[in-house]
Amino acid sequence: MREMTVEPMVLSPSVTGRLLRHPIRSLAWLFFGLALLFAVVAGIQGDVFFFRLATESLIFGGLALSVDLLLGRTGLLPLGQALFFGFGAYVSALVLKQGLPSFWLAMAVVLVSTTLVGLVAGMIAIRAKGVYFALISFGLAQVVSKVVFNTRELGASDGIIGVPVPQISFGFFTVDAASPGGFFLLVLCFSAALYAVLAYLMETPFGRQLAAVRANEHRVPFLGFDPWRYKLAAFVLAANVAGLSGAFYPMLRGFVSPELMFFQVSGNAVINVIVGGTGTLIGAFYGSAVLTVLRSVVGSFTAHHQIVIGVVFMVSVIFFPKGLIGHGVAALTRWQSRKEGA
Amino acid sequence: MGEMLEWLQFVLAPQVINGASIGVAVVLMALGLTIIFGLLDVINMAHGEFYAIGAYAAVALLGVGLPFWWALGLTPLLMAVVGYATERTLIQRVFHSKERHTLTLLLTFGLAIIMEDALKIVFGANPLRLEAPISGASEVFGLFFPNYRLFVMALGSGVIAAVWLVVFRTRLGAMVRAAAYDRHMAASLGVPVAVVYAGTFAFGVALAGLAGVLLAPIYSVFPTMGRDFVLIAFSVVIIGGLGSIKGAVIAGLLLTQVQSISSLYISPVWSDPLLFAIMVLVLMWRPQGLFGRLGHA
Repeated sequence: MREMTVEPMVLSPSVTGRLLRHPIRSLAWLFFGLALLFAVVAGIQGDVFFFRLATESLIFGGLALSVDLLLGRTGLLPLGQALFFGFGAYVSALVLKQGLPSFWLAMAVVLVSTTLVGLVAGMIAIRAKGVYFALISFGLAQVVSKVVFNTRELGASDGIIGVPVPQISFGFFTVDAASPGGFFLLVLCFSAALYAVLAYLMETPFGRQLAAVRANEHRVPFLGFDPWRYKLAAFVLAANVAGLSGAFYPMLRGFVSPELMFFQVSGNAVINVIVGGTGTLIGAFYGSAVLTVLRSVVGSFTAHHQIVIGVVFMVSVIFFPKGLIGHGVAALTRWQSRKEGA
Repeated sequence: MGEMLEWLQFVLAPQVINGASIGVAVVLMALGLTIIFGLLDVINMAHGEFYAIGAYAAVALLGVGLPFWWALGLTPLLMAVVGYATERTLIQRVFHSKERHTLTLLLTFGLAIIMEDALKIVFGANPLRLEAPISGASEVFGLFFPNYRLFVMALGSGVIAAVWLVVFRTRLGAMVRAAAYDRHMAASLGVPVAVVYAGTFAFGVALAGLAGVLLAPIYSVFPTMGRDFVLIAFSVVIIGGLGSIKGAVIAGLLLTQVQSISSLYISPVWSDPLLFAIMVLVLMWRPQGLFGRLGHA
């Protein structure tokens, strides 16, 4: 009864409406459409604050996306995904500050280095199954964040400040990361691309294997596949997604700090996924957007907004385990079949 | 030779004894975690916050004028009530789901967030200090140790021994083990499984609370005090084997010794990575931890 994950492919045969052939994909279009609408309105208003907030929400949405890839699609609960997010942020900050202030160079270095770090961390964490994996990923992030917190070369508890703002060149035009609207659109395009790549991968044999691993890991070897290899690939892919999302952080805020690797960031990513809808991928962005709004609204009344987030999270675990998207899809489907029946 | 003896007496021995006094508190935490997992399959992410609440309960009880000994006795009882209520109202809601592991972990994680913020609201974020109820020091091996640490060690060891006796030598313990092994069979033999579950959860939470009170006079009391401490307890439980009582005791005492002796040679900053490296090595060798799960031999 309380199944958490949404099975996007299972639809009743009576549903033939165009909208609902891919209800989750429609909701993804809706999300990016709404984001564009927001950009138009905020652009006309000449807004800065909400652009920055929305960009941050997308960046943390990307982190949540990587959590959903593992939790919703592979059946691994990562409690330390902020490790890769923070790692990406630090690498990006170091490249921009110490190396060249080039966006593409920073992204390339982050991609390569998160692959390597993801491989090493994955080989440690994937050995463990179920709750052991959750605890190992938690411990890994905790230990690394502590080391970073105490390493003077990395700025210790202050982190790295004064990261230069890059000009992002696309050949025939350039985006200034300091321009709130321009940078928002860039991150939006990037998030959409990340989502599209992952959504596409889930339709390939690789994605099917992940689904098989999630459903029953012990049967996968009997089909002639090695679950370990697929889990590791998913883990590295998630590390890439988290790292690339984190790479935007210093470009947005101009600094990085060890807090980016702390458990709170990992935990918030899991909350975003659960509230948004596990296994839907786009739910990660919805969850991040909703919770960012909630946090800033509640935060304007009291400093103790965590308690509200905690309550929302628990309520959604107990009463809405499919999250916003899962229940949204169910409601859409009901609405559609009622319309067709009428 | 004489140098060696002096090193043993003045360098090593103090570290061993200090490590052991923290060790018994870590074991109390780890026992709670491991018993709850062994019986209910629940990773209690809020265990560190229950520990913090235990410490704050002692602060509050002392604040209304009760002596420390009353606080020490009352806090575990209060925490047991809190734990019982938590199990009945929250854990049971998702207990029969297929994804019990994940859902209960998430629920207790949410609970941890709420409790931590609640502590901040009620007591403020600043660290509080608690006066040690026993002052002075005693001579052990020609060295002086704070009496309170020796007391923590003695009481903690007593509680650990009592837990062991109850679980492995009494009828109550047999019921708990039976429910951990096969709850349907235990239920049909007349074990009140629901009560055993809630009671066990309550007991684990009470142990965390007890550890909180015991360590409150040694460390300072602050809302996030449970975070680092619970990480050690989790490492202990993973190394010892999730759900194993023997594992929690042995791994808890050993790991805290490793931590305190290694701090002679390396900066304490590296002691967590060291613990973690040990954990990874143990898992590579034995992915299920050193010892078997409660009720499973």
